[in-house]
Amino acid sequence: MKLLQAAIFSVIAAVFCVSVSAYQRTADWGYQPEQSNVKAEFAWSRLAYNSNLGYSGYGYGRWATWSRDYPKADRQFLIALNRLTRIQGRPTEQVVNLDSDDIFNYPWVYAVQVQTWSFTDEEAKRLREYLLKGGFLMVDDFHGTADWENFMNGMRQVFPNRPVEDLQNSDEIFHVLYDMDDRFQVPGEQYIRTGRTYEKDGYVAKWRAIRDDHGRIVVAICHNMHLGDAWEWADDPEYPEQFASMAFRVGLNYIMYGMTH
Amino acid sequence: MFEFFFKYPWPVFTKGKLVLLGSWPVWVLLLLIVVSVAGLGWLIWRSLPEAAPKMQTWRAGVVWALQSLLVTLVLVLLWQPAITVAQLKSQQNMIAVLVDDSRSMAIADSGRDGKTARETAAVQTLNAGILSGLQKRFQTRVYRLDGGITRVGSVDGMQATAAATHINDGLKQFAAETADLPVGAVVLLSDGSDNTGGIDVETIGALRNRRLPVHTIGFGKERALRDVEVDEVSVASRALADSRMKATVSFEQRGYAGGKTTLVVKDGDKALASKEVTLDADGVVQTETVFFNAGTAGVKRVQFLLQPMASEENIANNATTRLVSVSGDKRRILYVEGEPRWEYKFIRRAADDDHSVQIVSMLRTTENKIYRQGISDPSELADGFPVKAEDLFKYDGIIIGSVEAGYFTPRQQELLREFVDKRGGGLLFLGGRFSLADGGWGASSDSELIPTFLPNGKNTFHRDPATAQLTPAGTESTVTRLVDDSAKNVERWKKLPYMMDYQEAGNPKPGATVLAEMNAGRARLPLLVTQNYGRGRTALMATSGTWRWQMSQALGDPTHDMFWQQLLRWVAADSPGPVQASMPVLRLMDDGHARLTAMVRDKEYTVAPDAKVVAHVNGPEGGSAMVDMAPVPNDPGSFQAEWTAEKPGSYLVEVTATRGSNELGRDVVTFERTDGVAENFRTEQNRELLEKLSSQTGGKYWKAEELARLPKEISYSEAGISVRDTKELWDMPIVFLLLLGLMAGEWMLRRKWGVI
Repeated sequence: MKLLQAAIFSVIAAVFCVSVSAYQRTADWGYQPEQSNVKAEFAWSRLAYNSNLGYSGYGYGRWATWSRDYPKADRQFLIALNRLTRIQGRPTEQVVNLDSDDIFNYPWVYAVQVQTWSFTDEEAKRLREYLLKGGFLMVDDFHGTADWENFMNGMRQVFPNRPVEDLQNSDEIFHVLYDMDDRFQVPGEQYIRTGRTYEKDGYVAKWRAIRDDHGRIVVAICHNMHLGDAWEWADDPEYPEQFASMAFRVGLNYIMYGMTH
Repeated sequence: MFEFFFKYPWPVFTKGKLVLLGSWPVWVLLLLIVVSVAGLGWLIWRSLPEAAPKMQTWRAGVVWALQSLLVTLVLVLLWQPAITVAQLKSQQNMIAVLVDDSRSMAIADSGRDGKTARETAAVQTLNAGILSGLQKRFQTRVYRLDGGITRVGSVDGMQATAAATHINDGLKQFAAETADLPVGAVVLLSDGSDNTGGIDVETIGALRNRRLPVHTIGFGKERALRDVEVDEVSVASRALADSRMKATVSFEQRGYAGGKTTLVVKDGDKALASKEVTLDADGVVQTETVFFNAGTAGVKRVQFLLQPMASEENIANNATTRLVSVSGDKRRILYVEGEPRWEYKFIRRAADDDHSVQIVSMLRTTENKIYRQGISDPSELADGFPVKAEDLFKYDGIIIGSVEAGYFTPRQQELLREFVDKRGGGLLFLGGRFSLADGGWGASSDSELIPTFLPNGKNTFHRDPATAQLTPAGTESTVTRLVDDSAKNVERWKKLPYMMDYQEAGNPKPGATVLAEMNAGRARLPLLVTQNYGRGRTALMATSGTWRWQMSQALGDPTHDMFWQQLLRWVAADSPGPVQASMPVLRLMDDGHARLTAMVRDKEYTVAPDAKVVAHVNGPEGGSAMVDMAPVPNDPGSFQAEWTAEKPGSYLVEVTATRGSNELGRDVVTFERTDGVAENFRTEQNRELLEKLSSQTGGKYWKAEELARLPKEISYSEAGISVRDTKELWDMPIVFLLLLGLMAGEWMLRRKWGVI
């Protein structure tokens, strides 16, 4: 009889644990390459966030969307940064998240696949404070209408009322280092196979932003493009140079803007 | 008593001259004295072996001294000593009686009861026999003394209502107006509260030339029993809008040692700051520092008030005011940065929130690209760092970021030096990879601009954390004041987040001030150091990691921005324009005479003696005037004008300098004339001034119990119409007493020693 009670209790406990686990969102940071201890002024910071795909069948921790193109894209970009500007950049990237105040030591942060991001109230508050204190967020690699809505679901947690605006060519962010009036859509690596510059229904590149009370861009939104892939595949002979070049120029301008405004 | 022994009153001896009426020469007297004294000594010395043993000691010397004195006295009397003294001729001289009728004379702290008004006590004193005593021997004239002197028929009916006391001006006026009158002496009845700061040498000289003694009679308590009085307030007369200002208030008290009161700074009815103070010991000058915000642009009349204590005798001296001209101008600072870095961004953001400072920056983004921000037009800094003085001197301050000294040409380095030395600008060096010693600044021609002796060699910049803390000098500085309360400010600094990096800046130079230090590992290094250089000032901030103060503190925490705004204002706020107007005194007390000076320079800040300089004065009630300012001889570029502010109130003077049709620049200075306010301060009797005036003119400070002798003794004066009288001294009682005393003294000593 006692053996039966113990078995029943064990089964109930196991079912409870599995249920709780199933309801939890993905919290696996995925692949973690060795990080650098080199001290430099600028550290390329990639935002690791909790994905809202945890319950949607993409796996429980197997697929962390924040790490798309990571770390090759980051490191290739840092090579360009150190070569083309006077910014002293750390040769390797820094992964930051919103679960600690460490992000405040990195006033510029890059995030991809932001249609999958998901914040707790505390995380949204921390990101809001980060941006209003002087931090800068660049988001990339999300495409089409559905991704936009999912991205905005997270963004509205951070800034419920701040408008998103389409950037004009005259905006300072397109001239701080390179004059970039002739921007075009930068596709991901899939262009090599498909010849398409767009993904999903994101046919036109959207250069958007959210500003602070002083009119300074605090969130630079690269919608319907995949700059990270362009950096990652820049050394692939099949990936067109003009896309990689455009991606580097955009990234460098955005960093330069983030370090001057 | 004196006269009983000496036959004549004291003034005979102080004013008279000793003479010997005897016909024999004085040298004979001296010779006889010497011979007599020596002879007595020889005689005593010879008889010593036969004298009693007791007399063979020091006692023989005493006897010799007494006998010598006796012989000397007799010899002097034989030469008929006398004193010649000048004495006013009766009924042929005038005695002037000056009675202070300023408002401080209305204070009721005189008389036998200590509750009679000073003015009343003065009148009572005169009517108690002084005036009639004088009138028996002299003609008398009575004058009212306040801003000047006015003759009155009688002392009765005098009212202490005048707004000011100018004893100096009054005496000067009196000396001038009575130059041809036989004035024998002046009697001044006053509390000595002179609003112009004392009696000048010129006035004393005029009185002494006429040998005119001023006899003074003081009224009022020399020490208040219960009073708190503001002595002085030191505060800048100019400020930028919303600046944090520092005022040093000096005050003293009597009767409230250990008590507490509140020091309040007010602009009209609006309290700008307050501070509780504990009062020091009686009569000790106490100094307190208070910080306040200058507020919006405009001329402010800032009041500094010590809240009255219970039962205070005089509360009108608890407050004073100062005019502060708050400028709404935007000071432009050129920030040269050699590499993109976070410090650059966050300094710019701090300046963005400051309406009084604008940063114009040039940032080297790549080896060959410069990114400019804050420029007024596309041509500004288009060719990089200015190479002409007139282009660089447009800025009020300069920040040198992470830039090597070699980035600047020798001419540009010289311009940097001239910017501080000649133009009077502020220069701030920041720490960084290419800054200070690592940037080769220690070996550059501009090394003297840096307020520390930079270390030799490189690798002084470290990307390791360091924490900041204030030095004693930093606790009193407006640059580092984050919280009004001094102690809390020190704690606030200690709690600041660590900085991302630091740089070794070496030791401070003599004359430099270390406002903040940093703890880096076990080392304590200078963080913020300032110094004056030439007409300007320089500073270094040995880090580029203060941006963590912004990112690592709570959203809305003002620390980072406040510190940088204050440091940027320090860099730029005091940089003068080409025209610099000033006045030696910005608060005219009961006197409208104003002296305005202006230093005029051209766009390269070279003095411009050929300029035409005009001052436009706007006064109260819409009054205005144009005053031409004249060049000051032997001081090129300096101009001066004298002007009189007729009415009390605030005045604004705009000085404009032109050369041909070109305007060189303009400046504004504000001042105020206050009437009647000075009378509220220093209300205790200034006996020191009265005594000094008397002694310097040959008069006397009279105490109440001595006044009966005044009519008689005042006659010993060389002024007016006087005769010299010779008064023999041989028959003074003191002489006979002395002769008897010497002989009796010797006899008594001998008896005591048993040698008679």
